[in-house]
Formats: sequence, C-alpha cells, structure tokens
Amino acid sequence: MAAAASSSSTESPKTTTERRGIPGAQFVEDVETYLSQAGLDVNSALGFLQERLQQYKLVEMKLLAQQRDLQAKIPDIEKCLDVVATLQAKKGTGEALIADFEVSEGIYSRARIEDNDSVCLWLGANVMLEYSREEATSLLQKNLENAKASLEVLIADLQFLRDQVTITQVTIARVYNWDVHQRRIRQTATSSTAKDS
Amino acid sequence: MQQGPGGSETEVTWEDQQNINKFGRLNNRFHELEDEIKVAKEAIDNLEDASNELILTDEEVVRFQIGEVFAHVPKEEVETRIEEMKEVSSKNLEKLEEEKESLVAQMAELKKVLYGKFKDSINLEED
Repeated sequence: MAAAASSSSTESPKTTTERRGIPGAQFVEDVETYLSQAGLDVNSALGFLQERLQQYKLVEMKLLAQQRDLQAKIPDIEKCLDVVATLQAKKGTGEALIADFEVSEGIYSRARIEDNDSVCLWLGANVMLEYSREEATSLLQKNLENAKASLEVLIADLQFLRDQVTITQVTIARVYNWDVHQRRIRQTATSSTAKDS
Repeated sequence: MQQGPGGSETEVTWEDQQNINKFGRLNNRFHELEDEIKVAKEAIDNLEDASNELILTDEEVVRFQIGEVFAHVPKEEVETRIEEMKEVSSKNLEKLEEEKESLVAQMAELKKVLYGKFKDSINLEED
C-alpha cells in the first residue's frame, strides 16, 4: 500500500489525490512501469486493486442512500411552502380556510382554519415552533436551498467516485491482460528453446 | 457496460480513460433521466385525468390537495391551478427530453471514438 502511495505522487498530474475522504484512483500509463515501481507482482497488484474497488462500492452505497434521503426531503419542504403560501393568499380574502385532514387511515376530519398570522413548523426531534408567516416562509426557503445545495455536492461526489471505479476497473483489466500477454510470451519462448535443444 | 481495453497491443492513454469515464457518467445520467421522464409523464397523465373529472363534476367546491391536507377550494380556482401545474409539468418534461437527446448524441460520438481505437477490446452496450 505504501509503495503504491509513493508512486502516486509521481503520477499526480493525472490523479486528483482525494475528494472528501475518497482516495483517487491512480491512472496507469504503462502496466510494466506501474508494477515495477510499486514493487508488486501481478497477483498482489490485482488483489490491491480489487480491494480498492470494494471500498469504492461501499462508499457508493452510502452516498446513494444519502442522495435518496435528500431527494425525498426536497418535495416535502416544497409542500410545506405551498401550504404557507396558500394561507398567505387566504389572508387577503378574509375568509377562513376549510380543509380535510387525515386523522387516521381512511378517516378524515374537517377543520376550519381561521385567519391568523402564525404557523407552527415541525423541526424534528419532537420539537415544533410557532413562527410568523414571513419567518416560516424564509426558514422553509433556506432549508430548501440548503437541501438542494447538499444534493448537488453529493451528486458531484458520486460522479467523482464513479470515475474512480471506472479507472480501477480499467486498470484491473489491463494488468490482467498484460499478465496473460507475458505468460504467452514466456510460453512461446520456452517452447522455442525446447524445440532448439 | 464493461471495459476490457488493450489486449496486447492497444495501450490506454489518459485521454482514453477520460473518454471512458465520460461515457460512464453520461450512461448513468441517461438512466436517471429515463426514470425522471417516466415520473413526469405519469404526473401529466394524472393532471389530465383530474381536469377531466373536474369537467364532469357538479360540485362547486372541490377538495384540492395542498401538502398533506385537502383544502376546500372553489371549482374555478382548482381549474386554474391544474392548468398551471400542467404547464409546469410539460415544460419540465420538454427539458428532460431535450437533455436526453443531447446525451444520446454525445454517447454516440464517444462510442465512435472508443470503438475506433479499441475495436473489440471494449464493450459499450447495455447488458
């Protein structure tokens, strides 16, 4: 591992060393030089690369789960904003809003929402706070923007990760092919020397 | 999509690697887009059904879902809202379809380049 890490510094223009804790995959120009620099034989090189691939896969699972959570959260926040905006609109007309709430599955109850200036927002962890309508709108907007920004960063991370996975897969294939090629050369060399003698 | 480049002759340059990476990214985004387009089409269908039902109904007040609750909204307002939502959804669908077309074009380009260099050593088809 240490040998591979030191050789990565000589190849650094072709690798981003890491991004948010994800190590970058080193791009290999020439398989032979890579193996001699790393001081690894083919099998240990393949083993190391396979291990790296597994680590990448694990991180990918984690990031995908985070992405799914965020993608579920964003429409939720948008719905809340919708409700607050509707209350805002009703305030102008001066009439109360009548709405049907789901009390339990299949059971709805009618509620009459009088004109008022404040809304209560569920903040999570069994905490609910009362806000004025403007504060509620700005808080929800801020949450929405944060969620969207986090999602973008997450997507960029995933893309970086997938690139590293691709590079590692390609390197594994090339090391393997190089090995097969070497064996073939050695075989023809030994068979020709056998024929000569 | 598998990558099995460079048998014994063709070497893989950094540029090739970047092309392969780019193809992978485009392919992923393509699949995501297909799912998003499916969802958008369903949403538009639902809105169509809703507006058809609305035309048939006699009631003056319609329960319109906002967030988790059903608010009592006059029929005209509901009609307007549904029209707006249909507009937004169709525009969104158009944007997604456009992105998909551009992706397909870029992927075709990359396929040409990569198959040109690696011929049989690389497989860029769907499995």
